[in-house]
Amino acid sequence: MSDSIKFTRRDFIKFGGAVGTAAGALGLTSSRLVAMEQELGGKDYSPTTGAERQAVPYTCMACNIEDGGVAYVENGRIVKLEGNMDHPNTRGKLCAKGNSGFLHVYDPDRIMTPLLRTGKRGEGKWKRISYDEATTLLASKLREVIDRANAEHKPEILNEMVFKWGRDRTGGAVGRFMHALGSNTMLNHTNICESSKKVGLEPTWGPDIESCDWANTKYILNFGSNVLETAYFMNPNAQRLVDGVVGNKAKLVSFDVRMSNTSGFADEAYFPYPGTDGAIALAMAHVIMNEGLYDADFIDNWTNVSARQLIDHLKPYTPEFAEEESGMAAKDIRRIAREFATTKPATTFSYRGPCKHVWGSYQEAAINMLNVITGNVEKKGGYCLPRGMGWPQPQPVPPKGKTASVIAAPPLYPLASHHVSTHAPYMIKKGEAKVSVWMTYYDNPVYTYPSSHVWKEMLSDENTVPFYASFSPYMSESTELADLIIPDVTYLERHDPESMPGGLYPCLSIRQPVIKPLGGTQEFRQTLIDVIRKVDPDGALGIKKYFAFNSVEDWMRAHFDAIPGLKEDGGWDFMKKKGVWPIYGEVDKETAKIVDKNGNEVEPDYGLYTKELSASDMAGAEVDNDGTIKKDGQAIGVQVNGRNMVGFGTPSRRMEIYKESYRKYGFNPLPVYKRLPSRDKKPDELVLTTYKVNVHTQSRTASLKYLAELYHKNPAWINPKTAAARGLSDGDLIRVTSPLGYIVTRAHVTEGIHPDVVAISTACGHSAYGRLAQLKQREQAADYMQGGDADIANNVWWNDKGVHPNPIIRLAVDPIGGSQGWYDTVVTVAKAQPGDKYGDTDVSVEASMKDYEETLRYAYTGDIHRAKHKEVDIDWNSLPEPELHGGGH
Amino acid sequence: MPVGLQTEPSLGVPGKKRWAMVVDLRRCIGCMACVCADKAEYDVPLGVWRTTVKVKDTGHYPNTKRHFMPRLCNHCDNPPCVRNCPTQATYKHEDGFVLQRYERCISCRTCIAACPYNARHVLPKNRDRVKIGGVVDKCTFCNHRVEKGLAPACVQTCLGRSRIFGDLNDPNSEVSRLVARHKTVVLKPDKGTRPQVYYIKPDRAQTEQVFSAPQSYAARSDAQAFYQRNRGSKFFSGVL
Repeated sequence: MSDSIKFTRRDFIKFGGAVGTAAGALGLTSSRLVAMEQELGGKDYSPTTGAERQAVPYTCMACNIEDGGVAYVENGRIVKLEGNMDHPNTRGKLCAKGNSGFLHVYDPDRIMTPLLRTGKRGEGKWKRISYDEATTLLASKLREVIDRANAEHKPEILNEMVFKWGRDRTGGAVGRFMHALGSNTMLNHTNICESSKKVGLEPTWGPDIESCDWANTKYILNFGSNVLETAYFMNPNAQRLVDGVVGNKAKLVSFDVRMSNTSGFADEAYFPYPGTDGAIALAMAHVIMNEGLYDADFIDNWTNVSARQLIDHLKPYTPEFAEEESGMAAKDIRRIAREFATTKPATTFSYRGPCKHVWGSYQEAAINMLNVITGNVEKKGGYCLPRGMGWPQPQPVPPKGKTASVIAAPPLYPLASHHVSTHAPYMIKKGEAKVSVWMTYYDNPVYTYPSSHVWKEMLSDENTVPFYASFSPYMSESTELADLIIPDVTYLERHDPESMPGGLYPCLSIRQPVIKPLGGTQEFRQTLIDVIRKVDPDGALGIKKYFAFNSVEDWMRAHFDAIPGLKEDGGWDFMKKKGVWPIYGEVDKETAKIVDKNGNEVEPDYGLYTKELSASDMAGAEVDNDGTIKKDGQAIGVQVNGRNMVGFGTPSRRMEIYKESYRKYGFNPLPVYKRLPSRDKKPDELVLTTYKVNVHTQSRTASLKYLAELYHKNPAWINPKTAAARGLSDGDLIRVTSPLGYIVTRAHVTEGIHPDVVAISTACGHSAYGRLAQLKQREQAADYMQGGDADIANNVWWNDKGVHPNPIIRLAVDPIGGSQGWYDTVVTVAKAQPGDKYGDTDVSVEASMKDYEETLRYAYTGDIHRAKHKEVDIDWNSLPEPELHGGGH
Repeated sequence: MPVGLQTEPSLGVPGKKRWAMVVDLRRCIGCMACVCADKAEYDVPLGVWRTTVKVKDTGHYPNTKRHFMPRLCNHCDNPPCVRNCPTQATYKHEDGFVLQRYERCISCRTCIAACPYNARHVLPKNRDRVKIGGVVDKCTFCNHRVEKGLAPACVQTCLGRSRIFGDLNDPNSEVSRLVARHKTVVLKPDKGTRPQVYYIKPDRAQTEQVFSAPQSYAARSDAQAFYQRNRGSKFFSGVL
């Protein structure tokens, strides 16, 4: 979400630090009698001594939602975490993962010193070295590449320095580092996350996600998002979804192939066939348009299509067609479409269910369209734009590298604005890109990627990846293959700037060291400064100036001290004290709304796109025939009914239901449904889907004892009918076989799953990540580990660590958004064979290489693409040539 | 009465507090934040819990539902644990808390047997931060926080605002108003314990599952592993 559009805030009313003070403040100013209710948070006392604990605000990073938190410290140790009551979107609450996050700090298997490999790669033999030695070594490896690029006058050599992250919440530090080195080879993880959602949305309205006004809505269509457990903004969304459903009597209709907590909570839950949500959404749009239930004014004024055009386009998508594809009854589709269109306000939400398929971008665009045609965009209680805030980068900022990187932005995916990181090992293996230094931060592809064995093979091969440095403080499946480990500290011991659009109130927040980094460990930001100074000790390369910070804290001051409004409040010092800015008010104890000192709600802004352009904005601007207002060649707004308004973040400044960018490459410019290969599976096959549970992230939390105790094994969910047809009983040992190979796990026979689906959680089944994740807690700690925690050593009672599904999941990406089709792998499920042991995994790298070639056939230059898009009005013989683009990440 | 250190119930007594919790089951999403917050608050070791949220699925495909049932000590007004404690280690506080004095506890487990709610456990001796072990422990309604004007830790973090805490003797408190306006139930009222945790709108599936045995193989095999090591404690199957 680092690249969501930053909206400027309105002049909101601020209340300084009034939160968490006198309990009676509400009662004194309200006309009704109010009890002396207990305070919800902001202070804490030791249960054993009664002494008040020291409170330090921070921003959570147990997952990627970045909730506001306060850490409590007792005798120099972080003993508990709670939500920051000043944070307007998370409102003082943390989820299970957030509450357990401090265990990362005291993880007995945390790496406490830089390590240099001494044995073979992956053999687990390490020599402890100092941070000074470690940064010197990494700097020398980087300098070699720079010297070679300079000697040969080939700037493209600089792209052999690769940086891959899973989570980069450094607020620009990684980009600054890589651009300073002259490399554009930065690989994110977004295509295994939700990138086709982003690419379904961005060309439509600018930002990459919606922010639903859950608490004020009356009707919610939830497509494939487990919003009460995981998904983007789980904590703030879940809080307000409950407020909406219970407090505001909204109706929740949920679509998922599996009964998640969200579908289990819904008023109505449907189990569509995997990858058919888009057909349902299009059929609902068909009903709404044909029955005249649409918002004609909004379509006319604020989109680039007409109602007539949509009615024609939607003609084939009848509810009967959608029933045939999805299994959801046409009468239910009709009824729910009518309810959605006639209940105001209403909103959809969607996450990975629809978009993590080949052509997932279409599905997302179809769901988005439901809000547009019903006029629910940016309404109170509706489907709103995300609201983030930006911060300036310290000057000077290094320019991007001179040459675009082929693996950072693969040319066959020109629309994939979040790139296609899954393809990197295949492209490197085929010689399309060369690697000299591979660096990773918060990244574990050997566990988290589809066909994860391909990553293991690449990172194990010293000819392909000559030098691999990991910044991880945990010995993950990937980090154990490194040559050099320079451990970062945990998120409770370091600095980061943050802003996440987790709700309707834009805000900034920070991370700061709650305690001094343990055991002499060093935060990543300092490591970057040290490495750059060693790469360019005398400044001759012209790089050193980009890291001319006296301290990490100086770097933070450069982000926060000059922001208008915050500057007057105290800049970085205010952030250190409060953790978040601005402070909109306090959390009402009974309604949890953000209220002012009189108890009145501080309402967020709505209708952001209708903000009027000022006279100075309009000076020198021109209005073209269709109303787009342009200034200096840039579209800055749109004129509607004589009013000049800012509009949406698109070329026309309207919502672009029709996407010319899609058409250019032979994709359908309007939302369509494309039947997936998995829809035509054989009757005895099943579609494999994966999912997250509420107490785990993808890979980082199996080492946290509270969470592992709650969830530590991941048997395969299978419907009773499906199990019976295969002679399987609950708990049976089973083989799940895809074209890549098989895993041996156990069957969990449950009514809560589609009969054509088998679902396996990705939270478990580690072969690394410390002793607890592997249930080896009774083994001796390695000399580089922190050690400690008699509780883990003695009291772990479970004996099953699960079996990871990623090795059998096939690479298959959406040719539009570049997203991995996580839910497109077709498998067979049968009783385990004689000799099979629980956890056995046997997969083929060669088969995965074939999948890579196959998925390229879906890319815009491929033959399958052409065959599947015959309806697109384009000259197929003059598609744009593939080219390097974007200049990098 | 009084047996042990049973004080007279404060419910309805003017000038006294009667702390109570309302659990609004309509609002519980089974997020387990309370379970983890509670573990952190008291450094609760693995294998024992002061609070749990039991999960139960009902119905047949495609008409399935999931139910959550948060559990904790009921801080009864007629607590059998207090009555049965031979050493007066367990006592009833005048504001309603049922509390445990570790220094008097001989770990005889009589209170564990007497509690109809499985709300008590023996602390393992090997712990991480807090070094008290080998004695009986339980939910305290976070009396150390409540006495300083704060809500219990599980209430503080409850994402759905399903757990609501306050003084039942104050007619304007949220708990009083919720109990007055909604149909609430307490668990096992027939035991005469007079529990002070009130549940709004439970289905039978929720109250009945409280004491049901694990059903799936996944839960049963976990239970088997659990009881091999933790005889006398009560298994909680987590989120599966």
